[in-house]
Amino acid sequence: MMNINEIEKVLPQRYPFLMLDRVTEIKPGVYIKAYKNVSINEEYFKGHFGETPIFPGALTAEAMAQAACILIKKSIPDLKATLFYITNAKMRFFKTVAPGDQLNISVKAIKMAHVGGVFETEASVDNKIVVKGEMAFACK
Amino acid sequence: MPQLDDLTLEKELREIIAKITEIESERITLEARFIEDLGMDSMMALEILAAMEKKYKIRIPEDKLNKLANLNETIKLTKEYLKA
Repeated sequence: MMNINEIEKVLPQRYPFLMLDRVTEIKPGVYIKAYKNVSINEEYFKGHFGETPIFPGALTAEAMAQAACILIKKSIPDLKATLFYITNAKMRFFKTVAPGDQLNISVKAIKMAHVGGVFETEASVDNKIVVKGEMAFACK
Repeated sequence: MPQLDDLTLEKELREIIAKITEIESERITLEARFIEDLGMDSMMALEILAAMEKKYKIRIPEDKLNKLANLNETIKLTKEYLKA
């Protein structure tokens, strides 16, 4: 549905902070589904945590936020915002994510407006939920 | 949804606002202004709007965000959409 080049046209984030590889489904105003392939080549695994590489939970939250950014930009075509500031996040982390996992992100819009959005977010690996929560961010 | 009486609506909305803004509910009087008196911002207002929509199964358009000036106005706005 959206490959990495199309994602980069919408998101301001770039390597090493682009946390999505592909968008698989999007229904503007309603939901988005996307994924990230987690690879051992990523720099942060050296420090998180050496011989036990674990994908940082904060980056899972970032991946969900990036999917939500695409959703809001595709839902409000006249939205001029180029920057996004997280204002609220409430999440429960159920399982760890490791190199080799495909992190599947699903974001539903609760409320979107020109000032920002409120979203229900979920991430899963092999159809098992790893993170579930709600987040809000402002658009500037 | 059964008809909500004014006191229940006031109590429920105050709870929603207190939870989102982390402001003590005693400070959220009917007249306390959200921005000037309670230090709220536009994103808190958006989250309150989203919570109102979820709780009362209503849809309030974005252009009504500026109507969330204080609890009194928030009650009025909710009632307007509950009737619609």
